[in-house]
Amino acid sequence: MRPGSSAARIVLDQGESVTAEGGAMIAMSDDMRVQTSTFKKNSGGLLGTFKRLLAGESLFFNEFTAGSHGGDVYIGTTLPGDMEILDVTGRKIILQAGSFVAATNDVSINTSWQGAKNFISGESLFWLELTGQGPVIINAFGVIYPVEVDGEYIVDTGHIVAFEDTLRFEISKVGASWLGSFLGGEGFICKFRGKGTVWCQSHSSSAWGMSMSPYLKTVK
Amino acid sequence: MKLEIKGLPSFGYADLILEPGEHFITESGSMATMDAALDLNPTPRGGILSSIIRKVFLGESFFMNEYRNVVDRPLRLTLTQKTPGYMVLRELRDEVIYLQPGAFIACDPTIQFSTEWAGISSFIGKEGLFRLVAYGTGRIIFGGYGEVLEKDVNGELIVDTGHLIAYQRGISLKAQLSGGIISSFTSGEGLVTRVQGSGKVWIQTRSLQGLASWINRYF
Repeated sequence: MRPGSSAARIVLDQGESVTAEGGAMIAMSDDMRVQTSTFKKNSGGLLGTFKRLLAGESLFFNEFTAGSHGGDVYIGTTLPGDMEILDVTGRKIILQAGSFVAATNDVSINTSWQGAKNFISGESLFWLELTGQGPVIINAFGVIYPVEVDGEYIVDTGHIVAFEDTLRFEISKVGASWLGSFLGGEGFICKFRGKGTVWCQSHSSSAWGMSMSPYLKTVK
Repeated sequence: MKLEIKGLPSFGYADLILEPGEHFITESGSMATMDAALDLNPTPRGGILSSIIRKVFLGESFFMNEYRNVVDRPLRLTLTQKTPGYMVLRELRDEVIYLQPGAFIACDPTIQFSTEWAGISSFIGKEGLFRLVAYGTGRIIFGGYGEVLEKDVNGELIVDTGHLIAYQRGISLKAQLSGGIISSFTSGEGLVTRVQGSGKVWIQTRSLQGLASWINRYF
């Protein structure tokens, strides 16, 4: 159903587990064991939980473990949009908070502080750091497409889903002048430098929300 | 230049590769990602007066962006729109097309712009006092919320307010009540636009006002 109404179907063998953010499960086989916890193995313990709350992720993780016949788990997301599977083996991926959906237990999830850049851009960007082994399911508003950066590449702040840690980024302007950047309607953007992949989303949920706001009732 | 519309039908976006020396015009704020080497030049396309009318009456922005490849290798640019939905790529051949506010996304620099008085009927039908005119030869990209239907009109068609996004020259708009005085309001339709003439119209299947009024009921 990509990219408009994606869902993921995870097929587990007997005894295999997958961990998903709270509320993501749509359907599952009846002999699935579910364990809810505030922390995931390898992910920072209780302190990690609170950091994740600040990062906009759910407080809880659900770990689904298949019974003796194996089983299926269907995972969905809050906003309509695409889903993608990234393999973290051998690299470190920085993921936008809110885009995380599920991962196997060999993936380590930590919050990542990217400095004051988070606040300056005006978006509420908190990041998760993904390391370890295996697949991570991510979601976004719009289509997820990769950009292979080799040099410098600009992404509008509302469109970044994830990027490889080999890239440096800074909040900057488009083109040669600040005036040009603001008059051009782009304002602050994210400039990536180095060699690596950036995963972008085709649409921006904050721009979508703002386009509706002239028609919405104000609530006191 | 390579130009592809991807992500259809729900999340249409434009993926472009500009060769050295090429340039493309886009509406303000439509850039999602781009090679850092692309040059951005905001320009009041169509002239100062047109741009002022565009800003004040059409809710569009005063400036349009010109992206130019001034280096010696191909550069990538991806464009988006604020709402999820379809993106139409049309090849204009010395053609005139009228665009509703918010529909325009991008075009070849050979396409010219101006603003035109749309008539009182258009204003009453909430379709605006002025309209954006795009004309010439070249590619134009416009989009809407939801699917975009292209219909050939020969005679008359009734389109609900908020759903018309573009139409060709040869089409005129007339606002009217959807039924009698009472039924127009009880049916929930209210004012509609009667589209008359000969030519194509483009209609979006969803409307922001519709979504907002649904959300408003929860508050």
